[in-house]
Amino acid sequence: MSLMRNMAIKHKLILIIMLTCVTGLLLAGIVFISWESNVFRHNMVQNVSTQAEMIAENCKAALAFQDAEDAKETLQALRVEPSIVFGCVYAKDNKLFATYYRDYAEIRVHPPKFQESGYSFDGGFLTVFKPIVLDGELIGTVCLRSDMGPMYAMLKRNTGIIIAVLFLSSLVAFLMSSRLQKVISGPILSLAEVTKNVSEAKDYSTRAIKHGNDEVGLLIDAFNEMLEQIQQRDIELVDAKEKLEVRVEERTAELTTANEQLTQEIAIREKAEEDLRRAEEKYRIQFEGALDAIFVCDAETGVIVDCNPAATKLVGREKSELIGQHQRILHPPEEIKGEFSKTFLEHLKNKQGQTLETQIITKKGVMSDVAVKASLLEVGGKKVMQGIFRDITLRKRAEQRQNKLLEQLEGANNELKDFAYVVSHDLKAPLRGIKTLADWITTDYADKLDEDGKKQLDLLVNRVDRMHNLIDGILQYSRVGRVKEKQVQVNLNELVTEVVDMISSPENITIKVESELPTITCERTRIQQVFQNLLSNAVKYMDKPQGLVKVGCVEEKDFWKFGVTDNGPGIEEKFFGKIFQMFQTLVPRDEFESTGVGLTVVKKIVEMYGGKIWVESKVGEGSTFFFTLPKQEMGVKNENLKASFVS
Amino acid sequence: MNLKGDKRQSCRIVRMRIRAYNLMVLALVLLMAAIAPTVKADPVTSSEYQVKAAFLYNFIKFADWPGEDTADSNEPIIIGIVGKNPFGDAFKPIENKRIKERQVIVKQFKGLGEQEKSGEKDKDEIDKQIEAIRKCQLLFICSSERARFKETVNLVKDYSVLTVGDTQGFLDSGGIIKFVMKENKVRFEISITAANRAKIKVRSQLLRLAKKVVGENEINGAED
Repeated sequence: MSLMRNMAIKHKLILIIMLTCVTGLLLAGIVFISWESNVFRHNMVQNVSTQAEMIAENCKAALAFQDAEDAKETLQALRVEPSIVFGCVYAKDNKLFATYYRDYAEIRVHPPKFQESGYSFDGGFLTVFKPIVLDGELIGTVCLRSDMGPMYAMLKRNTGIIIAVLFLSSLVAFLMSSRLQKVISGPILSLAEVTKNVSEAKDYSTRAIKHGNDEVGLLIDAFNEMLEQIQQRDIELVDAKEKLEVRVEERTAELTTANEQLTQEIAIREKAEEDLRRAEEKYRIQFEGALDAIFVCDAETGVIVDCNPAATKLVGREKSELIGQHQRILHPPEEIKGEFSKTFLEHLKNKQGQTLETQIITKKGVMSDVAVKASLLEVGGKKVMQGIFRDITLRKRAEQRQNKLLEQLEGANNELKDFAYVVSHDLKAPLRGIKTLADWITTDYADKLDEDGKKQLDLLVNRVDRMHNLIDGILQYSRVGRVKEKQVQVNLNELVTEVVDMISSPENITIKVESELPTITCERTRIQQVFQNLLSNAVKYMDKPQGLVKVGCVEEKDFWKFGVTDNGPGIEEKFFGKIFQMFQTLVPRDEFESTGVGLTVVKKIVEMYGGKIWVESKVGEGSTFFFTLPKQEMGVKNENLKASFVS
Repeated sequence: MNLKGDKRQSCRIVRMRIRAYNLMVLALVLLMAAIAPTVKADPVTSSEYQVKAAFLYNFIKFADWPGEDTADSNEPIIIGIVGKNPFGDAFKPIENKRIKERQVIVKQFKGLGEQEKSGEKDKDEIDKQIEAIRKCQLLFICSSERARFKETVNLVKDYSVLTVGDTQGFLDSGGIIKFVMKENKVRFEISITAANRAKIKVRSQLLRLAKKVVGENEINGAED
């Protein structure tokens, strides 16, 4: 049965049918043959018994009268029965009375052991014993032996026939079952095929085809229903899987990010630790190699914890003499207040990081001025005060000397400024008088003066005007920096438009603002002066019939870069420096009325704001004056103004 | 030398075999001789009459008497012996045996000659004896009655009595069965003519065993 378990259903069916058929036929055959053999035997026994009875009957007389010859003759009658190979008659005393052998059978058949009656099969023979009874008296026994050979031959033949029939019918059964098994196995196989397809291709949309309404049909129905459910489940599963995948991806991404962050953090931390270590190292190097003396004291007790070589040198004590000592020993008594030095207390209180000045005293009692900068640090959970001391004795002396010199210089400068102003101002008064007198002479002595006289007088007035302008220029220049104005927000677009209006340039000259100008914080008048001077210069020296003056601005990183471009005569390069010097003009004063102060003032204002001014030019084509203004802190630079003016 | 020795030895074996064979033959002869006397002695002496006595019994079995079927089973079958009885005690082993479910009685009768010698005195007794003889089913007429065979047979001529004798010319005298000796074996001859006359039907089995059957052509007629 276990052998059958793995067989194809087709073969199983065939096998079952074949087994049933063959078993049935075999059984029938066996029953038939055994029945036949039984019948044969029975018939044979009957037959031989009849023969024996006949012989017995015929031998009665022979026995009664002891005529063996006659008995023998009687036995000869057996000749007609070919199957009987031996016959004998026993007398009353169980002795052989007469015998009969068929042909030459004598050799192989021996007289059997005496028996009164009955029959037996042995050695391929049937032996039958029959008593011979005469008038109720047993007078002898007949024994006959029949050869079973023919019977066996017949049985053999019949068996052969039955086997042939068996074989033939098995063949027919096989052919028929091979055909008919499809009725059952067909639907099952198709179902199996579908099942295989489904499981291999994972295609749950396929359905098995129903062939009939038998149990297989029901099975197919159930299978289809199951498939449908599986399909449904599969869809749900795929959906869930996708969701899960998305979630997993999200998680993974989060984790990766977290991991990266962690790695970065670790790297940062490592770097920080490394930096810390380096910093410490660096600190140590700086500490040991610093030119300034450094003392580290306990912030609470004031005991010196550490100091560098410069410190030992400063106070003239060994390091061992310093460590563990109180910090007040470093200072002379007048710098000590209570237990601590004054600066220590001040630093501790509220002046951390500030530079204070004090005095120290060496072991030998020499005092020196020092600057101390101290800060609170935390080392190993303990608050310490680190003070950096610099010997400023020399600087102090130099400072004192410098201060004295500065005071002197300031006095002189002020005097000079006042002098210049006063001179210019006071010079203007007599000039005005001269001019008035000249006007009077011209008016009063108009008829008495000849042409030459008039001419001389005009020249005089002219020269006086020039003198006046010169003095105005100097005044203007000296006023830059001396006179302070309020810092305001100035929209340069508006300012330049105003300036252009004020200049009232000739019609053949066009002034154009090329780009949007910024709004800056400055002294309005100063910036106005810058643009006015530059633009009026451009207009004044224009030699082309169609003049074009452009104002532009470019924003740079830290400053604004302005440019005023003209298409005038241009300037030779060798004069690029000269034009910014006071009272320098490139054209004779008779051709162009100029004081030679304008560009000098511009330069001074631009530099006062921390800017720069320069010129780029080509002779005959025109020139561009560039200047820059820093974006922030216009006012702060003002402080430098003083110094630069002074120096 | 060895060769000669071998030869001699083989010769001795052959000689020994021959001697053994002879011994076996001798033993066989002796055995035969031991058995032979009993076989031979039997018929010559009293055993001959023992066989004949047995045969007489068997004759009854193979012959049918008229009215036998309806006969009373209590009535015995009588075997009569006439004359000088040669059987001795040969009937002893078969005494008390029943034939055809009837008792068998053996009766001795005096011969006719003897009767005549003494019979003058008692004629009734003779008649009685004759009557008795006539009632016998089988009558053995001894050889002593040789001279009066015909007479004796005639006594029972009209009665169904199976007459048996063992003397020469018995059948000619009208007897039915006569014993003959052939090759030392007891055999018999039958006269169907006589049997028919006595209305006794002798069975064919018996007839077949007979060495001689007289009036054989009458068998069919008798049966009809």
